[in-house]
Amino acid sequence: MVTGSRVAPVASASLQGDYAGVVSRLVAFALDLVISSLLFTVALAAVNFSAGIVIGHPVHWSRSNSVVVAVISGVWLFLYLSYSWATTGKTPGMALVGIRVVRADGAHAEPWRAVVRTLILPISVALFFVSLPLVLVQREHQAPHDLIAGTAVVYAWDARAARWRLLAREGGPRPGVPAAQPSATGEAAPAGQPNS
Amino acid sequence: MEPLERLRVAGKRVTDPLEQLAQRVAERVIDLAIHALDINELVAQLDLNAVLERVDVQALLGRMDLNALLEQVDLNALIQRIDVEALVEQTDFGEIIAKQSSGIASGALDAVRSQTVSLDGAIDRGVWRLVRRNTPRPEAPPLLNGPAKS
Repeated sequence: MVTGSRVAPVASASLQGDYAGVVSRLVAFALDLVISSLLFTVALAAVNFSAGIVIGHPVHWSRSNSVVVAVISGVWLFLYLSYSWATTGKTPGMALVGIRVVRADGAHAEPWRAVVRTLILPISVALFFVSLPLVLVQREHQAPHDLIAGTAVVYAWDARAARWRLLAREGGPRPGVPAAQPSATGEAAPAGQPNS
Repeated sequence: MEPLERLRVAGKRVTDPLEQLAQRVAERVIDLAIHALDINELVAQLDLNAVLERVDVQALLGRMDLNALLEQVDLNALIQRIDVEALVEQTDFGEIIAKQSSGIASGALDAVRSQTVSLDGAIDRGVWRLVRRNTPRPEAPPLLNGPAKS
């Protein structure tokens, strides 16, 4: 459990390579939707601005009033996800949350798996209330698109190192641990601060 | 047989049993002496500092094969026994880490990730208890479940 800014339970193990849970996956997916949508909106605004200059009157293309733009938006999302999974195994959202996609056995996922995963993803999303319990109950936390593509999602960050960073920043004494050792000058560092 | 040879054979017949007897007597005497001695008392009377002062430690270390010694040491087991958290908290090592990772973004990212991992764990444990599975859930894919993980 996280108490205050401390990351107590995450400390004991590295977690790298462990199957990622449903919350991490959902948060990463939500972040990806926001990031990709934001990028598309910025790009569309740039296109609208440029087209307005060329045509000579303001242009207001958007996903809601143009089928072409909506299709391009879908293609963009497909490229965003499949390219990320095929290359690094993680989308920007996944990178922020600290998870990545691997092959079911833990090896790097081949590009075709990334493409299949992306193509099946809309079905998983459409069947959210089936996919979610499946991810929760399934032994390897695999969603339908994972099962079909033969992939899994694992943690890609070192939780133990994060705890050390936190402890180093806080630098406070722990119960059962003796107070700070005297420094080279013979003076003990103040409580709660490491010797310098 | 020559008279001299005959004399040597006769002498050998006498000396061999005598040698064996002497050997047995010596062993018995030493055994008795060792049992009679209080080794602890003897060690207590020794001035080990004086003895150690006469030992050339450098020469001793020079004769030691440290590589052979280190090969017998299980460094992984040794490292496992180190309380790294205490080390990070109580020493300059912690300050070095703090300086290297003092960014606000880094701290926020660690906090968010920790929160999601905690929630993952809590939900996972709850669901696993709910479905009453007796077998433990696999932690990681086979290729990522190496000995380096802990």
